[in-house]
Amino acid sequence: MGIWYSHITLGLLLVICLTGCERCNPDPCDPPCETLATPYTLEIPPFFPPMDIPSDNPLTEEGIELGRLLFWEKSLSADGSMSCGSCHMPSAGFAEPNVYSTGITGAQGTRNAMAIVNLGWASSYFWDGRGTSLEEQILEPVSHPDEMALPWDEAVQRLQEMPTAENNIDYPSRFEHAFETSVVSAELVTKAIAQFLRTMISADSKFDQWRRGETSLTDMEFAGYEMFIREGGDPEITPGGQFGGDCFHCHSEAGLQFSDYLFRNNGLDSAFTSDPGLAGVTGNTLDSGRFKTPTLRNVALTAPYMHDGRFQTLEDVIDHYDSGGLPSSTVDPFMKYNSGGLMLSDVQKERLIAFMHTLTDTAFISDPRFQDPH
Amino acid sequence: MKNKRNFLHMRYPVLLLALSLFVFTGCDEKNDEEVIPGSVLMEFNLTWNGDACAIGDVQNDHLDHPLRIDNLQMYLAPVEMRNDRGEWVEIKDVALLDFGVHGQKITAAAEIGIYDGLRFGMGLPPEINTDIDPASYANDHPLSVPGSAGMFWTWASGYVFVKYEGKFAETTGSQLLEPLSYHCGTDESYRSVTFNFEEAIAVESQEVQAFSLSFNAAAALTGPDDSVDIVQDPVTHNAQGTILGARLMDLMDDAWTLNPL
Repeated sequence: MGIWYSHITLGLLLVICLTGCERCNPDPCDPPCETLATPYTLEIPPFFPPMDIPSDNPLTEEGIELGRLLFWEKSLSADGSMSCGSCHMPSAGFAEPNVYSTGITGAQGTRNAMAIVNLGWASSYFWDGRGTSLEEQILEPVSHPDEMALPWDEAVQRLQEMPTAENNIDYPSRFEHAFETSVVSAELVTKAIAQFLRTMISADSKFDQWRRGETSLTDMEFAGYEMFIREGGDPEITPGGQFGGDCFHCHSEAGLQFSDYLFRNNGLDSAFTSDPGLAGVTGNTLDSGRFKTPTLRNVALTAPYMHDGRFQTLEDVIDHYDSGGLPSSTVDPFMKYNSGGLMLSDVQKERLIAFMHTLTDTAFISDPRFQDPH
Repeated sequence: MKNKRNFLHMRYPVLLLALSLFVFTGCDEKNDEEVIPGSVLMEFNLTWNGDACAIGDVQNDHLDHPLRIDNLQMYLAPVEMRNDRGEWVEIKDVALLDFGVHGQKITAAAEIGIYDGLRFGMGLPPEINTDIDPASYANDHPLSVPGSAGMFWTWASGYVFVKYEGKFAETTGSQLLEPLSYHCGTDESYRSVTFNFEEAIAVESQEVQAFSLSFNAAAALTGPDDSVDIVQDPVTHNAQGTILGARLMDLMDDAWTLNPL
């Protein structure tokens, strides 16, 4: 009797031990286990900040590969002629080399397609910031009538019915491996592409190598870098001016992003009726003419420049900033529109451009992991 | 056999004792008596000579120049309260105020106790200002790369302590096109603001002690000892050694009001 009593007591205690103390047994799936797919560990380059990856869309080998297939999938356009990569070409730094992209109907957009690079660190998307997450941004081009023009329900249906005679990729199986469901949805398509885009990291330009102590900049390139991080303007007119390029305020070197991802009016226009920029999203007139500061990574490859692609060359861009830009009620105070501009000499401009070429990352644009797999 | 049974009889009490100890002591998170601190809520308001104002409003400065402030951000570090032993207790290491976002506030846990003063640094103390890589902070920290967007110069010159930007005109009725760009920073410009409470306050467990502080944006341009003419001096990036930034920080040091508790 004594032994049975002891057995029962021991059993009860074991039950209490194993179930009664939740705080002592943290949930192994905290954060939630979304998938049994193979986790992918993203390598953060030296001097880069951490990347915040949404807890509901962790990176996986299968998700990234599916995202790559979908990024280059022309079946996501109404006539099967365009993919995301059609307007984000590797040779152009994953940007659009034309002023405006032409959609499947022949209609053109109104802004130059931005470069896809290091998007995992961006805090908003599109020139006017209307996209608040990478996943949300990806939703738009597929169904936009002037772009790929395919309603999402049709896009999902196409993927669901593959493989077909024309396209032998078994997407339902791919979704099963990546997300544990073979049921395709717009949400999962955007999640997969977002995973792929977060892996598109450029961190091996000559400048990166120099920062890591692996190479040297030429005298011209280094002089350009010094121009880049020097205050602009004549100190007699602009207190603190150093006759520099004044680039670093907006194209911040912090975290080697070469953008602070904020929105500014850089003096391109005096009126903003045709394109209000951020004000079109916020409704705030103080945001008129303000557009997202793009990164300068691969800038030598991503012409044309500005939100409307008005400048064809880096020389044009430097000349614009050198002029100080046009006055308006919202032009950024960094612009020297009322103090004679930056007053750069031709040699100084050449130095700045030489520095910008050090931000070209040929390993990134030719990385086989990012190319068209179809 | 008898020996084995005896052994079992001896072993069970030991096991029971061990398991009991584990059950009743192994999960101390639940059983410890925790001292739950109180909290402090600091709300920040923007004023123009005592009247509530907002980013984007047009005001006239002390020299009657119409002025619109488009951006006003500043670092406060650290925020401390003085306890009844005369010790300054940190309640927040770093905060970035952005008056362009409505309802700026700092909430922080505070030890239970009696406090009779509030102090905060305007800007960043030297040890966290320069030679620190913003990328070393988690992205939700105010000194991180995204957290300090627009408020970081370079690793050598550090962070912008206060950004006071806008547009002005020289005469009333004119379009506001002249840029005002005050970016104050550098270790030499770090300032401290101190308030002594008229009556000591008590922070109690699980209770919120609230303060309201006002920043008079007009007083950032003029005070008893100095005034800045925005037409003559519309720009400073005092990482380059100009003294205007330090003058502005002195003025802003006196631009704060602790509202009656």
